[in-house]
Amino acid sequence: MKETPLHSWHIHNGAHMADFGGYHMPLWYPSGIKKEHLSVLHHAGIFDTSHMAVVLVDGQDSRDLLQECFSRDLDRCIGQNKKPISVNRCVYGVFLNEKGYVIDDAIIYQVSEQLFMIVINAGMGPTITAHLRDNMKKRNVMITDLTDQIAKIDIQGPASADILLKIMNEPKSLFANFPYFSFKGFFDNKIESSREVTLKNGTPLLLSRSGYTGEFGFEIFITPEHIEALWIDIMETGKKYQPLPCGLGARDSLRTGAVLPLSHQDIGHWPFLNTPWSFALPYDDQNRGLTKTFIGSKSLLKIKNPEWTYPFVGFNVRKVPAGKNTAVMDQNGQAIGSVLTCVTDMAIGRVDNRIVSINSPDKPEDFNPTGLSCGFVKVSKNLKPGTELTLKANSREIKVEITEDIRPHRTARKPMKEMLSIL
Amino acid sequence: MKEISELNLPEDIRYTKTHEWAKKIGKTIKVGLTDYAQNQLGDIVFVELPKIGESFSKGDEFGNVESVKAVSEIYMPVGGEVVAVNQELESTPELVNQNPYSEGWLIELKPTHPAEWDALLDKAAYLVELKG
Repeated sequence: MKETPLHSWHIHNGAHMADFGGYHMPLWYPSGIKKEHLSVLHHAGIFDTSHMAVVLVDGQDSRDLLQECFSRDLDRCIGQNKKPISVNRCVYGVFLNEKGYVIDDAIIYQVSEQLFMIVINAGMGPTITAHLRDNMKKRNVMITDLTDQIAKIDIQGPASADILLKIMNEPKSLFANFPYFSFKGFFDNKIESSREVTLKNGTPLLLSRSGYTGEFGFEIFITPEHIEALWIDIMETGKKYQPLPCGLGARDSLRTGAVLPLSHQDIGHWPFLNTPWSFALPYDDQNRGLTKTFIGSKSLLKIKNPEWTYPFVGFNVRKVPAGKNTAVMDQNGQAIGSVLTCVTDMAIGRVDNRIVSINSPDKPEDFNPTGLSCGFVKVSKNLKPGTELTLKANSREIKVEITEDIRPHRTARKPMKEMLSIL
Repeated sequence: MKEISELNLPEDIRYTKTHEWAKKIGKTIKVGLTDYAQNQLGDIVFVELPKIGESFSKGDEFGNVESVKAVSEIYMPVGGEVVAVNQELESTPELVNQNPYSEGWLIELKPTHPAEWDALLDKAAYLVELKG
């Protein structure tokens, strides 16, 4: 099994470890998943996400290659007005195979006019590199798999910027004009922009206003030799804001509450259609056709009776195991599908049958939720929000309802001004 | 993660391969989850227990515990009738994490065949099991 550069730190600090994507990763630390999950809503959590893979695509035809391989239309993907991607912007999408099935999901960063950085899931570097090379044809591009050559820390939660303020050079200009899904700097000082974003000790890094929790925060890309010092610096210099190391357990419950998919579990080797993530497909303004063709798009449009993927939320904390052995039953007791993900979001509860978060401004004064089960189901029927389903596994069954959203009042998209006192 | 040497494994109770413990208290037996089990499960958020008066055979599933991530079944270390269940776990399931051998106990039962208790693993045998 592979290890990240922070592996020995995790072991020395009592992390409960497990295999994830071929890496020996922390699931939780002695503080436990619940505290870790809540820390991201209350102040800040830090995650070692160095298992994720980075692939660079450079050259005059790089954008053209990505237009053919990636699900987002790079000419119309930024903001409400669907502007083209530009330097310092990033977008979420998927790579599909010819059948329209998901190979992996990704965030693509435009670093310079010709250089794009692709961030994909653990172990997917060689797969995506091969997929791009197989489709590059005569294009003038250079594809570099940086698997294990780039380390990453996600800092997530309302205090994230306040903590970074203390460890970054020239933080005021850095944090001015820093919208959601934009980034600054680069981890390799061969690139001009790397000089703009550095730690106080001069180390260059790429700082991206994104994450996998639905909460305000950043992903920090840095070369592996610098990551342990940065991890410790965040905790020591940011002590006042109590950044808590968080494992993959809290990452999983936070992302589910934020209705974000886990690749190879919620999306995967089946058609990427009828999901809560259809924004990752290049639909036109009428939501009828696609604004570009790309690998997999022709097959997608031809698929008859594709299944539907929906978020669900339970009525209490109780869960069922995800997977093929758990049936999804409709109100007539008919089995209509399977459970892709089922976790507990510890930060939410029901008040008068409405979902309320510990961050909801209108929460009751004595609100102290025990959490709600939530996740995703894949079913053969089109269902409306509010439809009740029974999830049945062996001896247990729970009632859940189809929902449009899970954890309310998330902070990921909040304006920087609201999150940082100095601006 | 706790090393095996760091686990709290009392001498005066017996263990199962599925990580329950059983303690003789007069004519009844108290049952819970071992320190190893609670450590592996992580934060426990719900415990489903049987009703008083229900009877099970040795090895039967009698309930389950839910952590934030997973659902795990719990099995009878010995057969018998449930005479008490830990009501506190309804509101504070984290007691299983905090004190697995005291406040975090699960059920108390009246054994059908008291000799089944003698056949359970002692601490040394359970340690061998854990070291695999």
